[in-house]
Amino acid sequence: MVRLVFLGKFGEMAPAELAEVSLPGEVKTLSDLQNWLGHKAPLLARAMAATRTRLVLNQEVVHDLSRAVASGDEVAFLPPMSGG
Amino acid sequence: MQETGFQVRIVKEAFDPQAEAAAFCAGRDDAGALVSFCGICRKDEAVAELRLDQYEGFTEKEISRITQEVAARFSCPDLLVIHRVGVIKPGEAIVLVAALATHRANAFEAVKVLMDYLKTDAPLWKKETGSSGSRWVEPRAEDYARRKQADKPEAGAA
Repeated sequence: MVRLVFLGKFGEMAPAELAEVSLPGEVKTLSDLQNWLGHKAPLLARAMAATRTRLVLNQEVVHDLSRAVASGDEVAFLPPMSGG
Repeated sequence: MQETGFQVRIVKEAFDPQAEAAAFCAGRDDAGALVSFCGICRKDEAVAELRLDQYEGFTEKEISRITQEVAARFSCPDLLVIHRVGVIKPGEAIVLVAALATHRANAFEAVKVLMDYLKTDAPLWKKETGSSGSRWVEPRAEDYARRKQADKPEAGAA
């Protein structure tokens, strides 16, 4: 199982069943995961594509979408941040 | 100079920024300057309350990383960041950034640059709720411009 965390506005768009998912065998990388989300939750995927979205894998920021994702991982999707 | 190092806290309850700043510099008679900035939830007809979401664990880790970077860059190790999360009412403090240093210049610079970074890079998400409904707040173009400016070597120079 892979844990998916959707922050900010993404959290309101993500269907609850996406919090913990069992990924099909062909989903091997973060890029595959994004494509898979495009089928599972097209509205959410469109919102992510339309803004600056950062990915965090096991609490570490990743820029390389060819990074592998496997059972036990936690992947977070971060919309633009607004602290302060 | 004696150092207490940097402190970063994410808090879920209202805090007293003046008491926190006082505690931060208590007993530090070796420091010649305390600079602090406090961001407050502004009363506004359109905003009845503000909600700040964090990514548990990651948010504190990232703000600590940013704070450590600023501490090293301005040779100002004594930095304090307290950031509120959850539902915040008008008049309550959202963020407190403070720097303690031998002289004022580094302390001013460190606080300014740290705030510019927090506006765009701190993993926090702000939602305003008011008379016309709710909306997620995103950094403005000027926030990104300040963030970019803060990266330059001469940043903060007053």
